[in-house]
Amino acid sequence: MTAPPTVPPAAAARRHYDAVVVGAGWAGSLIARRLGEKGWDVLVLEAGNGGTETWPGYLDSLDTFYSAVAKVPNSAYRPNRAVPSPDVLDMAPVRATEPGGKEFTADGYFVQEGPLPYGTDYLRALGGAGMHWLGAVPRMHPDDFRVRAGYGYGRDWPLTAADLQPYYARAEREMGVAGDAAEQRGLGVIGDPAYVYPMHTVPPSYIDRYCAERLDGHVVTEPVGGQAGELRVTALPQARNSTPDPAYDGGRGFRPAGAAGLPNYGERCVGNASCVPICPVQAKSSPLRVQAGFNGNVTLATRSVVTRVLRGRGGTVRGVEYRSYGDPATPVSEPYTAEADIVVLAAHAVENARLLLFSELAATSGQVGRNLMDHPTMLAWALSAEADGPVGPYRGPGHTSGVEVFRFGDARRARAPFRIELSNWGWSWATGAPMSNVAAALGVGGTADGEVRPDPTFGPELRRLLGSVIGRQLQLQIAIEQSADPANRVTIDPRRHRDPMGNPRPIIAYDLDRHVRDGMVAARHVARAIFARLGATDHTTYRPQNGVPPIGHLTHTYDGREVHLAYRGAGHGAGTHIMGTDAKTSVVDSYQRTHDHPNLYAAGCGSMPSIGTSNPTVTMAALALRSADHIDRHLADLHRPVAVRVPARQHPAARQEATS
Amino acid sequence: MAISADVREFVRSCVPLTGFAEYDLYGTGMADLYLDTARAQVGEEHFAAFLRAWIAAVEEGEGAAALSPTHLEIARAVTYLWYTGAWPRMAPAAHAALRREKANVEFVAAPAAYVEGLVWRTFDGHPAGAKPPGYGTWSVRPPRPRTLAEPRREAGTDAPAEQAAEERAAEEAAVPAAKLPGPLLARGTAPSTVMTADDVPGDEI
Repeated sequence: MTAPPTVPPAAAARRHYDAVVVGAGWAGSLIARRLGEKGWDVLVLEAGNGGTETWPGYLDSLDTFYSAVAKVPNSAYRPNRAVPSPDVLDMAPVRATEPGGKEFTADGYFVQEGPLPYGTDYLRALGGAGMHWLGAVPRMHPDDFRVRAGYGYGRDWPLTAADLQPYYARAEREMGVAGDAAEQRGLGVIGDPAYVYPMHTVPPSYIDRYCAERLDGHVVTEPVGGQAGELRVTALPQARNSTPDPAYDGGRGFRPAGAAGLPNYGERCVGNASCVPICPVQAKSSPLRVQAGFNGNVTLATRSVVTRVLRGRGGTVRGVEYRSYGDPATPVSEPYTAEADIVVLAAHAVENARLLLFSELAATSGQVGRNLMDHPTMLAWALSAEADGPVGPYRGPGHTSGVEVFRFGDARRARAPFRIELSNWGWSWATGAPMSNVAAALGVGGTADGEVRPDPTFGPELRRLLGSVIGRQLQLQIAIEQSADPANRVTIDPRRHRDPMGNPRPIIAYDLDRHVRDGMVAARHVARAIFARLGATDHTTYRPQNGVPPIGHLTHTYDGREVHLAYRGAGHGAGTHIMGTDAKTSVVDSYQRTHDHPNLYAAGCGSMPSIGTSNPTVTMAALALRSADHIDRHLADLHRPVAVRVPARQHPAARQEATS
Repeated sequence: MAISADVREFVRSCVPLTGFAEYDLYGTGMADLYLDTARAQVGEEHFAAFLRAWIAAVEEGEGAAALSPTHLEIARAVTYLWYTGAWPRMAPAAHAALRREKANVEFVAAPAAYVEGLVWRTFDGHPAGAKPPGYGTWSVRPPRPRTLAEPRREAGTDAPAEQAAEERAAEEAAVPAAKLPGPLLARGTAPSTVMTADDVPGDEI
């Protein structure tokens, strides 16, 4: 595939567009491509740097990843001082200065007010967080859309799962999804009885098979909601090249997309086991693929930072103001404006909120920035029984199967539901393994007092020990649903907190309510039961070390006792401009159009009133495609000629005359 | 390019540290870089003194027990470098004793060094993000773990038969917590600064 055409930021400013799309991640790229296909003139403004769309640029990202000590989601992408990204490295735990006080510091792009850390990052670069994502694309369950009506917590959607089914299917085609539709139908998340995914499911890992053999059919009762869940290891739908299914699309089959920036290159997943942060062969889908399909109607400009949406006449907006910079290392920039009939914000939930707040738009409901969500993720880790032999961690995609039963059912009324991922990457997320295994086995780094440790292991003993303790690593990653809470929010304070270019930094207030915490307790019990069933030795602990709590630490009273828990951010930022039917209580309608401004859309996970236990990207993509259709109709209406004579040309070409 | 005498000596002395044969160590292509890195990190003279002490300790059959605490920490750092491609944070006491002028922080010696880390080979794996084994290979049951005798044979440090039998029994026993990593406190915690599991209180839900 070839790289998408990009233009210098200055050149982009000289025209009037049908639509300006802010952000070149999944949502923005899908909307832009669709509108371009329909014949509309579209400008896409990406704040971050490009580069990864070329093959040398992509390889540079790979070397950046190899060189990183902490191989976190943003570690493959170079820091950009002009357009900073929030990073999981920004937070560090500290002893609370008072009981119940803040147990962390944060010194990155986010200003974190607490009481708990918002541990979710994203990437401000071409492709956005769609560059470092895992590629997990489970659909949401019908119950997930109506948690208030069904279970008495959170907020409901103005849409049903049935409304979204055709758009889910389209999103799965656009992204290139491999999965087992029959199994997903069994869970109730796919309605169409004839649907198959574009590609056959990605093969399960040996860990999946090892767990399935021992867990399937076993019943675990969690004590909080009282749910007796029958365990079943289920394949994860993934946006990752696998084997195309000839039965797809009524027998027409599916042709997978290859790598961006290198013609005729691309293949199935080859098991690099580094999907997060970077797939070296681009078997993992990314927005670069969508951008490679932009036609000549779409103009893409990188290093173009939208600072504000500009008001037009009446309640409308007339375009955006943006600044371009040449060098990511220096925030020297020049201002431009781009005018358009439609403005679509697709810059990430937190960035959309920040832009709306700074532009003082969509303010009627008072909900902009509120209801910030994520999937607080608990990690549990264990060593499988020595007698079973190694389980083969650090191979294949990050996770290929999960246990789904605690996502559904009435128990979610009492505690948040959760999805259990079986990690294929050992203890890496929890402990920094396998590198930290080497350090621990050697005893390098000294004691807590800084003295040299006395007990070395070297040579053949070291080799054997590591083979045993790395080869048997099991880790569960338990994503817990967090519901909309207006107190979890993004705000700005331009007088106090700006980034180097002068844009306001997001200020985050974040906490987990009792419903989530009860879900965490239930999840901890289930993890323990799973490890017991596997005959594995549980090494999970969330307790402070020498008084310092792990990041995301909290205590919760359960069954009259105080228990230690900890969570990590999932990278699933959502809910800052949630959709609804009432302009007084929601920011956008079901088409992601702001209630206050008829030609301003805010697209992305920010629109979601609830996120269930599904990784949200595929739902966001479905919403984006639905919005793109709506924007196409909207533009057609705007450009309907008022002249009485029959127009000489078909609609897309006739539009300029009608533009005011 | 010919291999220098210094590199030969360095690689030979790293065999008993790493448990990998000279053949494997040369096979990483990293020997020069690692010798340069170690010298730059602890200083030429300190490193030469360490190497003399270590070679003597091996020749006398005493191994690591004969090393001073500072030399022991250098031995660990060099082994960590071979296993991970990164120079670790050293015990602060050793850092101070060496009067190092470098920041005592972990860093990756080179992008290619990460890819050549020996740790992946201990469990028949491949470095995350490189040397991919191919579509669907992750479904295959991994090979049985090595006994102690196998790497010993490779490294040329065979133990007497009766000792080997005792050790086989010990291999089956649980791994001491002091040899396992505890949880990362923060995502940015470098692997060489993760506390061992024995320093972390257990969970009691």
